[in-house]
Amino acid sequence: MVDLTFIIGGPQGGGIESAGQIALKTFVMKGYNVLGNREYQSNIMGAHSYYTVRVKEERPGSVRVPVDMVIALDAESVFTHYKDVNPGGFLLYDSGTVNSRPERIASMPKPLKQRVAEDLKSRGLEATVAGAVKAAEDAGVKAIGLPLRQLLKVVAERSKRPLSSVSKTINTMGLSAGLYLLGVELDYIKLGIKAQFAGKAKVIEPNIIAAEAAVDYVREVYGDVESLPDGPHKGRERMIASGNDLVAMGKLVGGLTVQTYYPITPSSDEALYLERHRYYELSEEAREALGLEKAGIAIVQAEDELSAIGMAIGAAAAGARASTTTSGPGFSLMNEMISMAIMTETPVLVSVWMRAGPSTGMPTREGQQDLLHTLFSGHGDNPKIVLASGDHIEAYYDTIKALNLAERYQTPVIHLLDKYLASSMISLDRHEIDPGKAVIDRGMLVDNPGPGYLRYKITENGISPRARVGTAPMVITGLEHMEDGFVTEDPVVRDMMMEKRRRKWETVAREIPSEEKYKYYGDSNPEVLLVSWGSTKQIILEALNKLQEDGVSTGFLQLRFFNPFPAEEVESILGSAGKVIDVEQNDLLQAAFVIAGYTGKRIKHAIVKLNGRPLYDTEVVYGVKRILETGEERVVVSGGA
Amino acid sequence: MARSWLEFKTDAWVQWCPGCGDFGILNAFHRALAELDIDPSNLVLVGGIGCSGRITYYVKGSNIHSLHGRAIPVASGVKLANPHLTVVVAGGDGDLLGIGAGHFVAAGRRNMDITIILHDNAVYGLTKGQAAPTLPSWWQTKALAGPNLQDNLNPLLLAFASGYTFIARGYAYHTNQLKELIKEAIRHKGTALVDILQPCPTYNNIMTNKWYEERIYYLNEEDPEWNPVITSDHDFKEKAPRILEKMVEWGDRIPLGIFYKDLRKDTFHTRLEKVMPGYTKHPPATRPISVEGKPIADPWTVFKDRVVKKPE
Repeated sequence: MVDLTFIIGGPQGGGIESAGQIALKTFVMKGYNVLGNREYQSNIMGAHSYYTVRVKEERPGSVRVPVDMVIALDAESVFTHYKDVNPGGFLLYDSGTVNSRPERIASMPKPLKQRVAEDLKSRGLEATVAGAVKAAEDAGVKAIGLPLRQLLKVVAERSKRPLSSVSKTINTMGLSAGLYLLGVELDYIKLGIKAQFAGKAKVIEPNIIAAEAAVDYVREVYGDVESLPDGPHKGRERMIASGNDLVAMGKLVGGLTVQTYYPITPSSDEALYLERHRYYELSEEAREALGLEKAGIAIVQAEDELSAIGMAIGAAAAGARASTTTSGPGFSLMNEMISMAIMTETPVLVSVWMRAGPSTGMPTREGQQDLLHTLFSGHGDNPKIVLASGDHIEAYYDTIKALNLAERYQTPVIHLLDKYLASSMISLDRHEIDPGKAVIDRGMLVDNPGPGYLRYKITENGISPRARVGTAPMVITGLEHMEDGFVTEDPVVRDMMMEKRRRKWETVAREIPSEEKYKYYGDSNPEVLLVSWGSTKQIILEALNKLQEDGVSTGFLQLRFFNPFPAEEVESILGSAGKVIDVEQNDLLQAAFVIAGYTGKRIKHAIVKLNGRPLYDTEVVYGVKRILETGEERVVVSGGA
Repeated sequence: MARSWLEFKTDAWVQWCPGCGDFGILNAFHRALAELDIDPSNLVLVGGIGCSGRITYYVKGSNIHSLHGRAIPVASGVKLANPHLTVVVAGGDGDLLGIGAGHFVAAGRRNMDITIILHDNAVYGLTKGQAAPTLPSWWQTKALAGPNLQDNLNPLLLAFASGYTFIARGYAYHTNQLKELIKEAIRHKGTALVDILQPCPTYNNIMTNKWYEERIYYLNEEDPEWNPVITSDHDFKEKAPRILEKMVEWGDRIPLGIFYKDLRKDTFHTRLEKVMPGYTKHPPATRPISVEGKPIADPWTVFKDRVVKKPE
């Protein structure tokens, strides 16, 4: 069974992400499933960034350290990752950097410089790349120096280009040397390069030469390696997509017609990817049925988040299927409009890509700190739908679902996603995003309201027929109103309208099926019940398998809807387990807080990760075992560089 | 055949204070809509919060009473979704130039075909008379605890700098002239500002009807040659100095009328039509998004850039 994980690290702007994507494509063509995750700083050029790739036959659920190989394209990458390699694994480094010292690397964070210097000193090693490499070798790692500068000269000569123009192939050299050591044939590496730079012959050529030079070199110093067998998915056309991509796809397939946004990490890539495809070709069946070739999504970059959601709400009121996308700080600004959307009963989807806060926090890092923020967003009594997707594929279908729910119930829907989903990529099959499995439901949207139309008609289920503004006289208002939308402060009407909105909410809670609101995995009546939400799902599922293998009966309750919340079901599941452990990437244990609020049950144990890096399956296993052994209430895990 | 202005009346009680300039604006607006023969079902009047925002209940339309400062974004969303609608924003100076100033500026960059009616009385009426962004410094209207320490801004210049393609100023009690300005603004293809000076008889005891009447005059009456229409860069170069001179005139004499009408720029929906042909015919508000409840797009073909293809 193949299960490989490796890291390629270097300076931001040094092609780390494209090296990662070449690797993903190479392994997908070789027939494997991949998971790639990009870790980067809030910086454009120069700071350390790295890409983690995990390769398996089935889809990997988690990235993790230690890894089987680190490809360090610069000295800082060596200092950052020299302790991250498994014994027997590889550390590739630039042999031109052996004398580099941490204190001379301007981009390296001061605390890391200090930690590296102290660690190497405690091992009796000098604080240089050579010292760090020695520390890795002492731990059983095979270290291989690559003379990247010399190899660049070879590439320049062979491609007959000036040195400066081939310097961007350093990433390809490091990656190719590494892939060779993992048993990937040069031909596959070339395919990966060609796929990554498709249509750019001038880029492909020097990169192919760089790959050849690097593989030649490493073969010479290390010798032949056993080649990696082809994986089970070879020959099938597959896709590699990030969570950002899949949400954009969900929006387009889900019939979105207007999207607004204000740039913010990690949501912008969703908006930009959607914008790239905003004018799209209809499927053959739709072309025939509608007599339309192409359709467009009007996408507007607004002046701020207040405007982004305001425009989306205006567009939705006029009948567009509308959404906006943001992160926690942007959502802070959207609060007033969430409240207005609730009062005006206007559908709007808000994709909230969480990142590490509070405040600006760590803009490019992982966090799950906006559950309570979104759940309680907006002033006044303010029920809105809040759901959190567990993985990439869920994010795709949930996006379509969320668009339906928003229109069906004429309400804002908050779709919680996060940085890890945003920038991690998976391989997937066509059937996994089959539009045939999706439905489009616009609820009680009325085309011809006719005379006497009442926008806020009192109905039994609390839902009023919704006509588009611009089709009949009406008023849509954030003030308390009568059935016709005209403002009133009459106490009797106020009670009637509060009651109408409450009934609508009961309808929402009743109609969304229980099995949508939460998922249960693993053993029933388990010894250990893990409770979590959001992007930790696949990570916990991998951990669950490992725990079961180790003889720990384990269950996993994945919370998906926080409003409407499946209180009774959750209460009963919590009662069925031995030890309940909450797993979250926030300090307040926000999901446990919601559970306590709805069920009165306090979860006593928690595994928490707060350092801005994604949770690893290995950390969940560690946390569970530690809690079982010591009875500790809170285990903070902190893997990742 | 033109409609009667009565078609635009609603049965809501108009709850402004007696003598409020808003009555003049309402009257002029009703008549402008009637003369333009706009179907109330296709009119979307978006109000902000304040005395002025209440106009959304007094004009028959398909209206939205939005939030303080946010009428422009909401109206922009409506227009984006359906460029065939007549979209008008009504807001006060505090709403549009204070809390909503960012949106007021950004609107100029898009040139959506929207008319913005600025109820400009220099005070926050509905919260009982605080200083608004158009109240000059050192003036002390009656609800203020001391003189206003912040300077007034010039809405016309702000609109000009932001890219508005139609800029006019009217006076609330001159309903005939105001009606014509509103009609011109709605007819204009692009973002139009009508800054309407209006007394607040309850809280602005300085800028009274008498105060205005002693100062205001009409550009085209004083100068029959006055022509604010810009059709070329040459026009702009020639006319801009005089237009700016009139825009900054304030004090003993206050000009009214159309200051600027720039016909050089595309509206936002024209721009969208260029990048997405068919947008106007099938706008986001009404275009089909499904066939018998099923999606109309296949992600595997639309997003083929994410499909890993074995290179030739």
